[in-house]
Amino acid sequence: MAEKQLQCTAAAIEHQKAWFAQLRRDVFENQKPYAIVQADTPLELFQTMDVPVVSNQWWAALISAKRLSPAYLDAMNTRGFHEGLCRYCSLPMASTLCGDVAPAPWGGLPRPALLSARLTCDCIQRVLAIWAEAFGAEFLPLDAPAAAELPPKWWELSRYRWSELFEEHRLQFMVAQFHKLIAKLERITGRAFDLERLRCLMEGVNRQEEYFEEVRGLICAAPQTPVRMQEQISNVMAAQWLRGSEWAIAHARRFRNEVKARVTNGVAACPAERLRIMWVGAGLWHDMEFYTAFEAEYGAVFVWSMYLAFGPDGYIRYGLDDPLKALASRTVSMNEQLHNPPWANEWIVEQAKLHRADAALVLTPLGTRPSATGNRFIELALERAGIPVLPIFADMVDARTWDALEMRRKVARFLNERVVRRTIE
Amino acid sequence: MPIAGVTSNTVPSELLRAAGFFPLMLNPPRGPAAYADHFMEVGVFSARIRGIFHGITAGLWPFLKLVIIPRTSEQEHKLYLYLREIARQGLGKSVPEVYLYNLLHSRSAETEEYGFERTRDLKKHLEQLAGRSIEAADLARCVCESNQARVAIRSLLNLREGTEPRLRGTEALSLIGAAYFMDHAAYAQLAAEAGAEMEERPPARGARLLIKGTPLHHTGLHQAIESHGAVVVAEDDWWGSRCLGEPIAADADMVRSIFDAYYRGTSGPRAFPPEMADKWFFEAAAKADGVVFYLPPEDDVLGWDYPALRAALAQRGIPSLLVREDAAEGLSSECHQKIEEFVSKIPVRS
Ligand code: SF4
Ligand code: SF4
Repeated sequence: MAEKQLQCTAAAIEHQKAWFAQLRRDVFENQKPYAIVQADTPLELFQTMDVPVVSNQWWAALISAKRLSPAYLDAMNTRGFHEGLCRYCSLPMASTLCGDVAPAPWGGLPRPALLSARLTCDCIQRVLAIWAEAFGAEFLPLDAPAAAELPPKWWELSRYRWSELFEEHRLQFMVAQFHKLIAKLERITGRAFDLERLRCLMEGVNRQEEYFEEVRGLICAAPQTPVRMQEQISNVMAAQWLRGSEWAIAHARRFRNEVKARVTNGVAACPAERLRIMWVGAGLWHDMEFYTAFEAEYGAVFVWSMYLAFGPDGYIRYGLDDPLKALASRTVSMNEQLHNPPWANEWIVEQAKLHRADAALVLTPLGTRPSATGNRFIELALERAGIPVLPIFADMVDARTWDALEMRRKVARFLNERVVRRTIE
Repeated sequence: MPIAGVTSNTVPSELLRAAGFFPLMLNPPRGPAAYADHFMEVGVFSARIRGIFHGITAGLWPFLKLVIIPRTSEQEHKLYLYLREIARQGLGKSVPEVYLYNLLHSRSAETEEYGFERTRDLKKHLEQLAGRSIEAADLARCVCESNQARVAIRSLLNLREGTEPRLRGTEALSLIGAAYFMDHAAYAQLAAEAGAEMEERPPARGARLLIKGTPLHHTGLHQAIESHGAVVVAEDDWWGSRCLGEPIAADADMVRSIFDAYYRGTSGPRAFPPEMADKWFFEAAAKADGVVFYLPPEDDVLGWDYPALRAALAQRGIPSLLVREDAAEGLSSECHQKIEEFVSKIPVRS
């Protein structure tokens, strides 16, 4: 793993470890409830009710980074789940079901009080229901009507005019489901939901994302990127899972301060930076070294991934008179802006221009359905905007099919043939 | 009569007919799908959805005035978005108007209300297109016709039941599936005639099997199974035994009854909770001699259910077999051999 350049990156990772250890203690010693949820659920409601959440995708990334996915996935196949099934959101469930084949990271997930997911892909209700049964815990689904109207340039509407951006009936339906979830959380905690607290938290989320927006602006404007993409992800995601909390806001500020100081002092993540690369798609959790592999020879630095860039555009909601509805507008659309045409293609091109990207690598994950969609439109749009694209076909959590060396060769060929020559010309 | 394409069984054909449209199930033949190759990610969409995308984008069905896509699977939602994007960017031949019918399939008071409202929206939209309102009498007539088709299908299904089925699965699938492509009144009559004829036949002999898995819009698997001396007596599938479902109640609020039938009665990958989704399956399995699970390589949903369903069947003493090949492409000789062995070992219940 490349060395960490920012102090706050180490702090983010440390905090996550300590947070998780505390969660385990609270669950085992104090019988405190916690929940396992999909990344695109309203984490804010859990926060407001002081129910800690473990995000399924975060846990999947962790399992994968610890290189445990092959053992679990093989064990799932042995149990009769065929190898064609999607592996992303199901990997954590596999770590529970097949816990006997390898110990899970950090002591593993204790039994949650609740599991919850938005019913996006057709599989997720099944994955979480199986998981809930294995834990003997309850699963609360939030059904997900599909988006039918997608106004252009969503990021220009999402902050102030969010109620126009999403169909009213979808927002209302999501709020109705929130009430059910809230009632469930009230039963679990024995406490009453406080709308004011949610409003404060939502304001906190805005502040946090504003810091991220500053960082994004710094990366766009600085002559060379001050922070590598991997470190952006570590800092942003540690805060996003706890978004709006004091720690998350303070961490976002600290991250902003450190990046700003680096820009002021002319510190670049890679002083030899000559090419700025975009990574479109989820992270390659099992091979994070991939992202620094092209610096030495090509001066090619990954400057962009959705994780930082999506924060400000996707999360900020101004006008919090009705915080539940504002939260609904954040929740209904999550993953749609990233995977649905025209929203995904329009936004990625805009981001590529702002970040002065020279090329993009677009991940079409094998065995991960929704994050594989919209990619052809994204690639076409980028190419049309003059940004060469290399499509990457790989699984972000399953290391079994990843040929690290061959992939590096492929990217090198792409850089040589389509990017280097072009920038020289 | 303007023709409206639909992509699965959860679009209320009664509303379309009442608005003067002829609803046509889009079921493209397999084959090259250049537009899908170009715009659809590999391994995400089924061959059928890819075929529909190609058919529409390439202008193979120029007679379509409208395409209605229900939120019955995630793939269909993406199909809707992709078609709109193709139209927006002008990348295909003329793409007809596409409409998303946001029918949800989980059971809750909120979901039910949401679905009902969307059904009313669909009615309004069709009225706008038709330039006239859909009257109660129109609805009553169309419900009556589709109920006749349901009754006719029921009588065909009866011929598959019991220890002496008169109708083989291969024939049944074609006879039943025709309801998606025909006028319902005409269908009811023809299906009744076919049923009456078949009643006189000698019973089909062999192990009576139920198929569970990826919906079968072709007879490839049925033919393969029946070539080994078994009879497919049911399939947990909207192309076969679960086509059209139960008759629609003739209530004062016809839109409500139509919605109820589609919300409660239809099978689909997003039906939730699982106990409800699996009820039909276990009842049908209890009446069969064995079950064939069909999970072709493109499956990314039912494979999650398979281990638990297999275990539940084993507990009930019902034998099962898993087919993982694509039956539309023709099964391999190894797969045929597996079926042969499976069928030969099944104790036929009488
Ligand atoms: S990405 Fe979708 S299909 Fe894949 S495991 Fe997650 S919910 Fe299932
Ligand atoms: S990035 Fe895409 S795949 Fe990953 S959690 Fe978000 S929506 Fe899901």
